[in-house]
Amino acid sequence: MTYFLQYLLIGFLTGGLYSAFAVTVVLVYKATHVASLAHGQILAFGAVFFYWCIAVLQLPISVSFLVALALAGVLGFIIERLTMRPLIGEPLFTSFLMTFAVFMFLDGVFNLYVAGETRFIPPFLPQGNMGIGKLIIAEQRASNFVMTLLPALIVIGFFKYSKVGLRMRATAENHRLAQSAGIRVKNIFSIIWIFSSILAAVAGIGCATIMNIHYPLPYNGLKGLLVALVGGLDSIGGAILAGLLVGVIESLAAGYVDPLTEVGGTSEVVAYVLLLFILLVKPYGLFGLARIERI
Amino acid sequence: MSVILSLKNIEVTYSEVILVVKGVTLEVQEGSIVTLLGANGAGKTTILKAISGLLVSELGKVTEGSIEFRGIPIQRESPENIVKMGIVHVMEGRPSFDQLTVEENLIVGASSRTNRPTEIKKDLERIYSYFPKLKALRKKISGYISGGEKQMLVVGRGLMAHPKMMLLDEPSLGLAPLIVKEIFEIIEFVNKEAGTSILLVEQNALAALSISSYGYIMENGRIVMDGVAANLKDNEDIREFYLGLSKVGKRKSYRHVKHYRRRKRWLG
Repeated sequence: MTYFLQYLLIGFLTGGLYSAFAVTVVLVYKATHVASLAHGQILAFGAVFFYWCIAVLQLPISVSFLVALALAGVLGFIIERLTMRPLIGEPLFTSFLMTFAVFMFLDGVFNLYVAGETRFIPPFLPQGNMGIGKLIIAEQRASNFVMTLLPALIVIGFFKYSKVGLRMRATAENHRLAQSAGIRVKNIFSIIWIFSSILAAVAGIGCATIMNIHYPLPYNGLKGLLVALVGGLDSIGGAILAGLLVGVIESLAAGYVDPLTEVGGTSEVVAYVLLLFILLVKPYGLFGLARIERI
Repeated sequence: MSVILSLKNIEVTYSEVILVVKGVTLEVQEGSIVTLLGANGAGKTTILKAISGLLVSELGKVTEGSIEFRGIPIQRESPENIVKMGIVHVMEGRPSFDQLTVEENLIVGASSRTNRPTEIKKDLERIYSYFPKLKALRKKISGYISGGEKQMLVVGRGLMAHPKMMLLDEPSLGLAPLIVKEIFEIIEFVNKEAGTSILLVEQNALAALSISSYGYIMENGRIVMDGVAANLKDNEDIREFYLGLSKVGKRKSYRHVKHYRRRKRWLG
């Protein structure tokens, strides 16, 4: 029983990272109807920016954090301006492929930078362990969980309660109608890309504290897309829940199924199996928007 | 009275091939209601989209002529700027932001103008005083309200932008006769109360002509007739083809179908 709870807890904490990243994908999808692959790279670059600031330039933690987020925001803004904006009005699939192209391009840049090495982000979160009853929690994991998920929650609040957030939601629903109501849809797209890039960078820093900066880091971003698909591409709440769900299931698989097989690694697959079944039963994901249609 | 909107000889082409509007000239006087009548596919909606700038998202383009709003040419402006200048287009099929509540829909309508909560609140109160029904529905998801309520909502959302001029595309489409009556009363009310000039596109010709001061008849992308609304209502051809009334003023019955067909007396 203790083991079960321990696996649950670990999965939950890992799931927070997935959630945070899935939220960025969902944000972009909601507003622009493009499922972005590029954010996987923005995630990795956020971590690199942070590494530069804290390890190379030796800036204080809070400053490094803010600078990294700002740089990621700028990166997102540039990507939107250069690659997404010219494609407004073209079929959405084109935009999707463009995000893939951006992913591949930045992947090259990223690999040039890491050059097969691993860079370690100096530990900046609490390192000890704390216990609740018989359970053990690594403090680093717990603070990571808070650090990545909190900004996501703030953004959700912003989306829900601010005027700009309202315009974003209106734009998400119908671009043309939003235009006719006087909303500057292109500006909304820019804002969304900046916000989502900042969130991706936070998730990236969270990821990198656990698995360091080396070549597979951007591919974690792709898992965000998977989680977003499980939760339903246009539901932020769904993305958070799905992230936690995927985290827990992976952790349980690693704990119970992996020892039964010779090679292990079921935890790597189980998320995709989950996605397969969920898409079979609910094609719009667990919490995907059911279009309101009055007949 | 001055002219608030004038279209001079405009041509609209879709995808650079399909000529939909062929040299239309029309004028709207400040503070008046003008009706644009015509069969399906005549190009009425296209004209409204040309004015509001929404053609662009459909690969349409004003290729010839000019559209002037208070003397300023607007055919190159973006839809957002046009809203800001004071023209609001209430589209056909009364589209609302279905996932947002009624009140949120209204607030979105003020996007072009202001961000200040106090002003928005004042405007909301004004809209609720025009349409008391909306006040009761304010927290409801707008996708679930009825057609008539939705029409009020989209007109209300348009008014949130403080327009000088409103383009209404078939507001009575698919509504029950009693609701249609209510909608037309609202249009008249908005025109009088807020002093908004209105360009109305309608299929319900009789109702539209009775609230407007001037009318244009379109066919195949051309204006084929125009005149003071009262005169149009009495015009033999209009009565026959648009109002469904025969010479005697009674409803037409197939028992008395004439042996010859009345022909339109204009070149379409």
